[in-house]
Amino acid sequence: MSAPTLNIERIELPNGLVVLLSENHAIPAVSINAVVKTGERFVTDEMAGLGSLAGELLDDGTASLTAQQIASAIESTGGALVTAGGYATTGVSVTLLSSDLELGLQLTADLLRHPTFPEDRVALAISKRLAEIQAKQDEPRIVAAEAFNETVFAGTPQHRPLIGYEERLAKITRADLLAYHQRFFAPNNTILAIAGDISAAEVANKVRELFGDWERDPGLNIPAVPHPRRQREPITRFITKDKEQVNIFLGHLGIARSNPDYYVVRVLDTILGDSPGFTSRIPRILRDEQGLAYTTYCHTARSAGLDPGRFVAYIGTSPENLTKAVAGLREQIELITATAPSNDEVATAKAYLTGSFVFEFETNAQIAAFLVSAEIYQLGFDYPQRFPEEINRVTAEDVLRVAREHIAPGNLTLAVVGPVDDEGKLLRSAKSE
Amino acid sequence: MTTKLNAGATAQTFDITHGVQRTRLDNGLTLLIKEIHGKPLVSSIIWYRVGSRNEELGQTGKSHFLEHMLFKGTDRYVKGEIDLLTLQNGGANNAFTDTDYTAYYFNFAADRWQVALEIEANRMTHNAFVLEEYESEKEVVEEELRIGLDSPWGALDQTVWAAAYHQHPYHNPVIGWLEDLESATRDEMEAYYRQWYHPRNATLVIVGDINTEQVQTRVQELFGAIPAGPEPKPMTLREQAQRGERRLIVKKQTEVERLQIAWHAPEVMHADSYPLQLLATLLSTGKTSRLYQRLEERDQSVTHQSVEYSDRIDPTLFVIRAEIKPSHQTAAVERAIYEEIDRLQQAPVSAEELQRAKQLIKARFVLSHEQVANQAITLGYYETINRYEYLSDFFLRIGEVSAADIQRAVQKYFVEDRRTVGYLVNDGAKQQ
Repeated sequence: MSAPTLNIERIELPNGLVVLLSENHAIPAVSINAVVKTGERFVTDEMAGLGSLAGELLDDGTASLTAQQIASAIESTGGALVTAGGYATTGVSVTLLSSDLELGLQLTADLLRHPTFPEDRVALAISKRLAEIQAKQDEPRIVAAEAFNETVFAGTPQHRPLIGYEERLAKITRADLLAYHQRFFAPNNTILAIAGDISAAEVANKVRELFGDWERDPGLNIPAVPHPRRQREPITRFITKDKEQVNIFLGHLGIARSNPDYYVVRVLDTILGDSPGFTSRIPRILRDEQGLAYTTYCHTARSAGLDPGRFVAYIGTSPENLTKAVAGLREQIELITATAPSNDEVATAKAYLTGSFVFEFETNAQIAAFLVSAEIYQLGFDYPQRFPEEINRVTAEDVLRVAREHIAPGNLTLAVVGPVDDEGKLLRSAKSE
Repeated sequence: MTTKLNAGATAQTFDITHGVQRTRLDNGLTLLIKEIHGKPLVSSIIWYRVGSRNEELGQTGKSHFLEHMLFKGTDRYVKGEIDLLTLQNGGANNAFTDTDYTAYYFNFAADRWQVALEIEANRMTHNAFVLEEYESEKEVVEEELRIGLDSPWGALDQTVWAAAYHQHPYHNPVIGWLEDLESATRDEMEAYYRQWYHPRNATLVIVGDINTEQVQTRVQELFGAIPAGPEPKPMTLREQAQRGERRLIVKKQTEVERLQIAWHAPEVMHADSYPLQLLATLLSTGKTSRLYQRLEERDQSVTHQSVEYSDRIDPTLFVIRAEIKPSHQTAAVERAIYEEIDRLQQAPVSAEELQRAKQLIKARFVLSHEQVANQAITLGYYETINRYEYLSDFFLRIGEVSAADIQRAVQKYFVEDRRTVGYLVNDGAKQQ
């Protein structure tokens, strides 16, 4: 299977804006992915939610357009425009018919450069978030995931939910948002990727016209992010909810994307708990053989970013299976750190990772997202060719070494949400409605 | 615009049905093939025209459970082997069941996709139903059912559909009722499989980097010898017209109330489905939509609202959902939705609004079919509930809808006596 080939053009404007273009004429559509390298990782606990709110509000008004005018402009083309603030990246993504690309670029430039965060829009967004924070209490999997993150990422901004906290959101003001924008939104902190049915040369000219006079911030000051430390003891949290299932998260701090073991970890994940169907160990044994769950998985690489992510195992099961399910997860985690996987398992995992890689480049949005990650993580644009080579180098001994390095079975966080008391005792036997 | 930013080679010409070849084997298997050569990928999906719509009293959940069992071993593939072959070949597989169909897909690189054909041909008639696997998988399905019950929307949605339909099997959740699942036996499951899984009740869709003639030959080799099977039993139950509004309350541990209103609405074949598709779009797609503007912007009474109007074989439901902000009254949100419906009954939508809704439907259709797998899903879906040619003139029919057509449709279907209204409210327990 040959690696996917992409025509990629990289241009750096004099103001520092990095522009990445890739032509793909399969359908008459384009994806724009404009990313400012900022997010909640630069926000203090006191201001939790500021970064995600700023991202969300980018399309709520600019110096020349109201929220309504922005929505009307994009929706009259049938396209879709989403703005969001994440943990490490914030920005605008647009998908539209290629005949409407100019409008998409104009809006992207305007939203990044001139958002005004109008008072009434800020108030509306915050009031919606406060309600959403209550609504997510109804989703036991989210409650459990948040309890898990809070512990695993303690002391770093990643311990918080992106949406922020009720009591602190209410204090965020328009002035805070403008200051945040002023501080982080600069062309020399931004990547603009455009993939699809485009003429790259013409688009480059248009980008120069729309973004060229955006002034570089010579004093751009990227703050340091507290470095997380992996826990050195087991931590357990039980949260009571009247639900049909218990939701269980088990794990600890993971690795950053830049970790040289990343490719071995991809193979490890595929063997242990992250592969299609029920082929990897945890879903095969806990779901397919024991019938304990509909959903169960385990992985590390998926959350590897600029900062270390998490090594996490999940299972949702009936309350009476709680002990068995946790023991089952622990057993598999211990096993992967005790004994090297078979050569067959490694070969299968490698065949899957290299063979399925082509599916990561199927849509314009995927290609645009790849261009941005390639830039952020400095993967190089030969990455599509290099990825299979990196994977094919991995051996069973590598997997064991890396499992021992990055997984500590004795020092895991266990977070459980469901009909249990705060010591983990079942409040009732399985309930049927 | 002075310069052209798009290459424009294929602009505005996207037609999902372009190049589709339909053939029918002697045993009744329908085969749809579409060549797309941009990327070295192939998606193959087999559709069986059976879903919860075909399930009889006491037998609910069979279609979905059967879907699980088709991964649990055949006379040729031991349990887990289908997934393992998929993994080794760098592919993806899964399956989905709904009211009107059950579908199984494989996505592979073009140089190895034919393993999918061999698997589907084999498991159409040779599934094993090992008792031990059956019992273990029953536990998995019951866990899946519990996930649904733990979701606030899952619980409300299930109750609204059950109330809106008394006779027609859309009354039942696709996953089935827990008691039916628990009492189902392996032998019943196999009988159900023998009844519904055969060439005459199936459509095989293959889309991607393939050669049509070669695929036709290979499909004939692999599927041609499978016996035609019995004539599929027609589902003749019809829901009687609803006479009077139905109201219900579901209680859960929640601080956030949810509202779901459902009106009986026509099936995919019905001419009125086109104005109602447009109505769904102008009510709820995007920030310019009427319900977004009314509930999220003006009243600021909800965190989310959405509309669902899915194409089905039989008359279905037009559903509006809203998640109410804690400081607001669900009854007031309900009234506001009726006011918006009244406005649509009183006055036609503007030309601009109509045009925007048409453009949204058209563009979103193109934008959502970049992946060959999505093209295969859409083609197979419409072939199963109707015929794929439905898609050939879909945009023409949408384009012909007038503001008066929409107004007429709202007047006809959005009447009090034909609606079911569900509230999800707190059961009195406090959240932690």
